[in-house]
Amino acid sequence: MFLLLPFDSLVVNLLGISITVLFTLLLVFIIVPAIFGVSFGIRKVYMKTLLKIFQWATLRIERGAKEKNHPLYKPYVNGIIAKEPTSLEEEIKEIRRSGSGKALDTPEFELSDIFYFCRKGIETIMDDEVTKRFSAEELESWNLLSRTNYNFQYISLRLTVLWGLGVLIRYCFLLPLRIALAFTGISLLVTGTTVVGYLPNGRCKEFLSKHVHLMCYRICVRALTAIITYHDRENRPRKGGICVANHTSPIDVIILASDGYYAMVGQIHGGLMGVIQRAMVKACPHVWFERSEVKDRHLVAKRLTEHVQDKSKLPILIFPEGTCINNTSVMMFKKGSFEIGATVYPVAIKYDPQFGDAFWNSSKYGMVTYLLRMMTSWAIVCSVWYLPPMTRQPEEDAVQFANRVKSAIARQGGLVDLLWDGGLKREKVKDAFKEEQQKLYSKMIVGNHEDRSRS
Amino acid sequence: LGAPGELSPPTTALFAPPTVTSEQIEHLHRRFKQLSQDQLTIRKENFDSIPDLEFNPIRGKIVHAFFDKRNLRQESDGLAEEINFEDFLTIMSYFRPIEMNMDEEQLDRFRKEKLKFLFHMYDSDHDGKITLQEYRNVVEELLSGNPHLEKESARSIADGAMMEAATICVGHMGPDQVYEGITFEDFLKMWQGIDIETKMHVRFLNVDTIAHCY
Repeated sequence: MFLLLPFDSLVVNLLGISITVLFTLLLVFIIVPAIFGVSFGIRKVYMKTLLKIFQWATLRIERGAKEKNHPLYKPYVNGIIAKEPTSLEEEIKEIRRSGSGKALDTPEFELSDIFYFCRKGIETIMDDEVTKRFSAEELESWNLLSRTNYNFQYISLRLTVLWGLGVLIRYCFLLPLRIALAFTGISLLVTGTTVVGYLPNGRCKEFLSKHVHLMCYRICVRALTAIITYHDRENRPRKGGICVANHTSPIDVIILASDGYYAMVGQIHGGLMGVIQRAMVKACPHVWFERSEVKDRHLVAKRLTEHVQDKSKLPILIFPEGTCINNTSVMMFKKGSFEIGATVYPVAIKYDPQFGDAFWNSSKYGMVTYLLRMMTSWAIVCSVWYLPPMTRQPEEDAVQFANRVKSAIARQGGLVDLLWDGGLKREKVKDAFKEEQQKLYSKMIVGNHEDRSRS
Repeated sequence: LGAPGELSPPTTALFAPPTVTSEQIEHLHRRFKQLSQDQLTIRKENFDSIPDLEFNPIRGKIVHAFFDKRNLRQESDGLAEEINFEDFLTIMSYFRPIEMNMDEEQLDRFRKEKLKFLFHMYDSDHDGKITLQEYRNVVEELLSGNPHLEKESARSIADGAMMEAATICVGHMGPDQVYEGITFEDFLKMWQGIDIETKMHVRFLNVDTIAHCY
């Protein structure tokens, strides 16, 4: 036991020194630049290095697979066409409604009924469950995260070693660093905004509030190692407007708010989120709703309109899809935000999945699990495009305006513009029972026929 | 895309203005090869390998549509025995989505083409008219999934629908007038107001688009 003592103190000393060094580095290279909004470019260099490593890894895999004659790529099961999961009844009703304008409770057989089955048939011919997509000609690179290994079946020893090294770096070095940064960012935000809240209203308070917000969001951005490219910054939202963006993950808020000063809109949560929300609203007027108020659409619209009409207030940040989508498409925008009548500033956010998938599947992962996954990926790389402002034209209604904005965002971000409601994600899409479709259809026609012949 | 000289995909001149990307043609080509089991042409039997198609009530008519020479834009009439990839794409082109920059005339032509495809589905004897018997056939097929439905009921439904169609197309008929059948012009009238051009399409997923983020 006595022999261990000198080693003990040596170990303790070493630990102490390394922690001090780490924190100094942290401060100098990350926190100070975040405060002033400058960047050393370390993250870009990091990203380029990672890309080179990924390419090397993919080449190794290919070479290894060829040598051993293993099948290289797993079949890709997502299919190639967008199938709309509307039910038989809905579609037929919709077609009839737009056609003859007859009352829907007299469903006879209509000429247009054939259309639904025809389209379904063609969809099946183009692409069904059996379709497998092999992309053998393209070089799909693997980003050394086992969670994204869809394609590669054969991994060599060297690659496993590299992957193990990657795990070590990500979990033992990057993760604690990021957690420390996140902690710093959040606590600075809460204390900073509370302190600023005590100041009297005026230019000084606004100035300080803006900078506190920006600084803390920038620290959070570095906590996630997010490498963001902003395009067309001259179109950034101005006061009295509404900023509308597509929604992939809660990180979207951090990404946008680190480049501009917005008023947030949302529901008050409990726990840590609630603490942050309550602190933020002391420094500047964000729009938070109680849970009960959220259901009342008119109340929500009223408060938002009041906020927007006050020209001194900040632009509101809204995600009209209402839920997180997986960043390949833009779903239906809820029309509420578009009825308010303010100038809309659309923003398109697109994540590069090569470095880490930012999509939050809220039914699969809770918030904490999700954040941990984000913090143990390599980086989050995304692009933000600020689109020119749009206003509602006199002959448009809110829904058409919403769709116009949605198309603009989808086009810019290279996303598919889909018509269906994001809310479908949470409901189980009723699958198969395809035979039922025919029975359902005939019931629709015949059932009513019988009723009428009886009466 | 496989060895040169073998099944080279046709140019995009088929689709004017070009709205289908070469990427999408590749997808369809792979699908074609899968269906044809690596042959150069597809026959009717090849469609039996699609399990989901079994449940579609108008399966027969859909498959038939692929071989219908009228849809294949060929001069002659009747049915083709087999189709090649170019023909496959021709049929698929009836389901391409609307383009944003189409003018009135193009939109109209677009719409007529899609409706002609549906018309050919009804008109199985190729005489340019949908007769009562043909109408009955379609209704019976669509309702064939219901085992409890008697043939008589299906027939009466079809008759009722046909009478309505007659009223829309010809107006009031005298008691001695016989309605010959729905011509294509009448067919168009019945679809007025239904935006078929925005609904009759199949969209490709943009699976490969990664906007350059750096």
